[in-house]
Amino acid sequence: MTEGHASAGGPLPECPRPEAHIVTLGTTPAHERRFQARLLGYCRRNPAFPIGLGILGFLVAFAGLGRLLWPVELAQPLSSTPYMAPNVENPFGTDTQGRDVLAVTIAGTWLTMRTGIIAAALGTALGSALGFASGYFGGWVDNVVNWIVDVLLTVPAILILVVIAASIPGQLSSLSMAFIISLLAWRRPTRQVRSQVLVMRNMGYVDMARLSGMSGFEIIVRELVPNLLPYLVAVFVLAVSASILAAVGLQAMGLGPQNEPTLGMTVYWMMYYSAFLQGMWWWIVPPVFVIILLFVGFYMLSSGLDEFANPRLRQDRR
Amino acid sequence: MNLSGILKRLVLTGLVFFGAATLNFFLPRLSGGDPIAERLAQLGDSGGTMSAEALSAMIASYNERFGLDLPIWEQYLNYLWDMMRLDFGYSIAYFPTRVWTLIGQALPWTIGLMVTTTLIAFLAGSFLGAFAVWRRNAVTGTLMPLMMVFAAVPFYLVGLLLIFFLGYQLRWFPTGGGFSPLVLPSWDLDFAFNVLYHASLPAASIVLSSIGIWALAMRGMMVTVAGQDYMTFARARGLSDRRMFFSYGIRNAMLPQVTTLGLALGQVVTGAILVEIVFSYPGLGNLLLQAVRGADHFTVYGIVMILVLTICFVTLVLDLVYPLLDPRVRLGAP
Amino acid sequence: MAPLLEVRHLSVSFATDTHRINAVRDVSFDIAPGEKLGFVGESGSGKTTTALALMGLVPNPGRVTNGVARMGDLDLLGLSQEDLKAERLRTVSYIPQGAMNSLNPVQRVRDSVLDGMEDHGEQMGRGERRAAVRELMEKAGLPHDAGARYPHELSGGMKQRACIAVAIALKPKLLIADEPTSALDVITQRRVMQTLDRVQRELGSGLVLIGHDMGLMAQFVDRLVVMRQGRIVEAGSTKRVFRSPRAAYTRELIASVPAMPVRRPVEPVRAGEDPGHVEDDDALLSLENASKTYRRGFFGKDVAALKPVSLRFSRSSPRIIAMVGQSGSGKSACGNLMLGFQKPTTGRITFGGRDVAAMKRREKSDFRRQVQAIFQDPYASFNPFYTIDHAFTVPLRRFGIAANRAEAYDIMADALQRVGLDPGATFGSHAHQLSGGQRQRIMVARAVALRPKLIVADEPVSMVDASLRATILENIRQLRDEFGISVFYITHDLATAYRSSDGVIVLRRGRVVEAGLPDEVIRDPKHPYTVQLVESIPSTDPDQAWARVREPRAPGGADADAFNQSVIRSRIPGFSLWPGTVA
Repeated sequence: MTEGHASAGGPLPECPRPEAHIVTLGTTPAHERRFQARLLGYCRRNPAFPIGLGILGFLVAFAGLGRLLWPVELAQPLSSTPYMAPNVENPFGTDTQGRDVLAVTIAGTWLTMRTGIIAAALGTALGSALGFASGYFGGWVDNVVNWIVDVLLTVPAILILVVIAASIPGQLSSLSMAFIISLLAWRRPTRQVRSQVLVMRNMGYVDMARLSGMSGFEIIVRELVPNLLPYLVAVFVLAVSASILAAVGLQAMGLGPQNEPTLGMTVYWMMYYSAFLQGMWWWIVPPVFVIILLFVGFYMLSSGLDEFANPRLRQDRR
Repeated sequence: MNLSGILKRLVLTGLVFFGAATLNFFLPRLSGGDPIAERLAQLGDSGGTMSAEALSAMIASYNERFGLDLPIWEQYLNYLWDMMRLDFGYSIAYFPTRVWTLIGQALPWTIGLMVTTTLIAFLAGSFLGAFAVWRRNAVTGTLMPLMMVFAAVPFYLVGLLLIFFLGYQLRWFPTGGGFSPLVLPSWDLDFAFNVLYHASLPAASIVLSSIGIWALAMRGMMVTVAGQDYMTFARARGLSDRRMFFSYGIRNAMLPQVTTLGLALGQVVTGAILVEIVFSYPGLGNLLLQAVRGADHFTVYGIVMILVLTICFVTLVLDLVYPLLDPRVRLGAP
Repeated sequence: MAPLLEVRHLSVSFATDTHRINAVRDVSFDIAPGEKLGFVGESGSGKTTTALALMGLVPNPGRVTNGVARMGDLDLLGLSQEDLKAERLRTVSYIPQGAMNSLNPVQRVRDSVLDGMEDHGEQMGRGERRAAVRELMEKAGLPHDAGARYPHELSGGMKQRACIAVAIALKPKLLIADEPTSALDVITQRRVMQTLDRVQRELGSGLVLIGHDMGLMAQFVDRLVVMRQGRIVEAGSTKRVFRSPRAAYTRELIASVPAMPVRRPVEPVRAGEDPGHVEDDDALLSLENASKTYRRGFFGKDVAALKPVSLRFSRSSPRIIAMVGQSGSGKSACGNLMLGFQKPTTGRITFGGRDVAAMKRREKSDFRRQVQAIFQDPYASFNPFYTIDHAFTVPLRRFGIAANRAEAYDIMADALQRVGLDPGATFGSHAHQLSGGQRQRIMVARAVALRPKLIVADEPVSMVDASLRATILENIRQLRDEFGISVFYITHDLATAYRSSDGVIVLRRGRVVEAGLPDEVIRDPKHPYTVQLVESIPSTDPDQAWARVREPRAPGGADADAFNQSVIRSRIPGFSLWPGTVA
């Protein structure tokens, strides 16, 4: 019932009078505010958004600036004296095979993020295309896509990936790993986009577009996609997080590129060489800390994007 | 879920099983060369720990199993038939142990760990999430963000943290294994305590990081339920808080939560596998790691098939249980 | 007699970050025991908030800022939450708009009845509980076994009755019914209101009826309070308010309800030549034995939405044809077939003699241009990503009506002016910046701009405030008179169908039951279903004994045959209709 007033559209009283039906208190209505003010308001309502963005920004800066300021070659085995606790030469110490842990962490953060973003970009692109096609056109396209997604979603990605990674002879580069992960990364985007399209398809403006002579493909591109862009951003963020989860998990099982210092491989090596029993805390803490920050950052970002992405939540605030 | 829903689930299970078996069969062949044959040849070259007879016996069984002289579709049909009988063949690394024997040893550990922790996390998390909506106060206000952070982190990283602080720094708990190396397994109280003691850290890491998942989902559902017309009508009738919370709130919010449980099963299994690896827990996860390291392909495929089947089975059970909870989807209803 | 409830100077306000809304402003009224008091007003007038305040249920961030509500010795507004809880159901009871989901979906109806009684301290044994449930079911007009059913197993009307049974369990002194029938069709509405009337008289309690339907108020309540923007604009006995309304707003509300014509026999149609036959070469759009069935679920049964029907619009003589029916009668399915959104299950749709389903690109484009629509929800009909210009420029350019952007804007400006909108103020705005009435008129303007031959208007005024309905219907009539556009007007509202159409088709469960000229079908209905429909519409004349006449008959036995017949009264000039040949 409050909404009825807010959207009544009539001219608001010019100066606040206490006995008036609707009294404007100070600030102007949302749609008249400038972009910065709106962003600020958004962050105030969704504190997870700036926190998540901050964490991820910090990690990007760490990986990016780190590559410029610190010799990343030290991430290769035998580049330093092994078993060193943190010291002037190796601020984070070295591992059992003479890798500099700081260099490993910098390079690993970079590689892990790259893997996640490539896999998620491919997965989201493919998934969106399938989701739009299956949701909008329905019929047998929808049935086939839906069944395939159902079958694939029943099985955890990591099990399929284990079979794939274990069956491919030779070494995997972290790039080919990204491609393998993208083979499965489209499942959720497909499902998510499809369910949104199913709702949007029944909106009056889609019917209006048909009456305006638009073809199905045009309607998807011109009418649906623009409205779903915010949602696709959120889908992408979730997909990056899921891809990193899969990548780090596979690497921690020893299925990753053995000669690249990814974060997951580092976890694998530290378990392989029982870093705990040897008391090498400096080897464990930085990479684990970065992985945790990555996941928390992505989680915060995606839950902070909820209001932005969810058409229903947005509509309520029109 | 009505009858056609159950039927769909059964067909789906069949498809998943068929797909997984097909993947297992063709992947090694598609990837150029036969990694299994290569592995056997490699074993033959290095000699390794295996005697010459054992090796030739294994090669013979491999050839017999896949009938390498047969056309590929016949090999494929034979393989599907084996999978349907759950015959996974011999372990390459531990020949002549059958894959089933290895799985049989590991499975009880995994099931014990996974079922208890999932149940605890599901029930406690759901209750906490519901309570956080019902009574907003300082405790629930600080607990929820904390659980959110844990929910975002994969189980095994929480495990690593627990090992580091409670196992390594404080030395309160053992850092790995299913029981102490010096104790012989037996059916007595001491051994049971030993097992529980060793299970406490892995269990804690699973519960800690999954409780937030359920709490968050339940919180969302309770907020939705609180806005429903029947809640308004219940309030307007002056019903007691207890009844509103349990019979109206939780009772309704629980329904989608059960569906979420089905959907999150894969996540739980994945998480538990990696936790076992981190803790060298003698379950399927650790076995999988050993098999991957040792390029023991038959064992890898066997474990994957068993896990896939388990997930399908549990999902089916949830589908069958759901109608008991929700009168709107009683079996056989149109 | 001392009043049952005395409310003085009640004020409620909602404060958000940017606004404070004084939803209820200084409202005072009395209710006598056994009296029925109506609160009427448009959404946002404060009528529901007033009622919620009496039960201490004003939702956040609302606060009661002033006032007293005395009930005997009790001040309802001054009670603690605990005391208030004890008074709900026992003293003041609430009947929600319950057709959808006001009952806990996972418990049986009887448990919803009993839990309130138990929580108010009623100690009952097994037998007493069973007896109490049976008695309440009977009072609410429900079958005996209804208590054992779950809410989803009840029809909309039965759910509403179940809500009544739940609300009267403790024989409250005051009943507050909040739009109890707004989700029901008129026939069910009338039956439920008859039950509510009986229940209230048996209890001897006061009753507050909240609603927006002036007809329902005229027929049901003893006294009426008209609210607008939180204030009472007029109050008085129902007869007085309807006979001689004092406030301009009240007059507006009464006038916005199209008067239902008094039933009187119509002169028989002159025999002679058949005026209603549209020749083949004059055919615009035809349905030829077209039907639509949907399949439910994977193994589901087929559900017939529309049974075979044949009709034909004429190219040379534009007509407004109303298709009337309750929700689920298949009228929207018929509209979707005509727009080519769906393919008929049997039969075919032809446009200019060509089968729509088999059209080539060019023909399809011409069909699209010539057959347009106006939808029920004008907000959803505009893509929120674009300004409303998008809805004009795309079709104008695509159909080659405008050669360039400038020309498109000229046509658009002209069309907006014709429906009474200021083009300068409308260009470049998004749908959410306009009012519901403006949006719907823009939809009409779009139709004017495209100059189609036929418009399917699916409930075009059902989501528009009552005061604007007449204007928009007038705009639609302009389409026929000025631009020669035929209109297929789909509605559940017999009164607007009567006022604005050349011919009326009544649909029931996918079947045409009666058709003919508006004067015949609505003033003098012959089919038993149409009779029931017409009688159930509450009129704004308070002297009609709407609520207390005999319960209307339900179809059954010998009546069933009559219900399954189709009565074609006379041909509608310039329009052809044959009911389906297949049963």
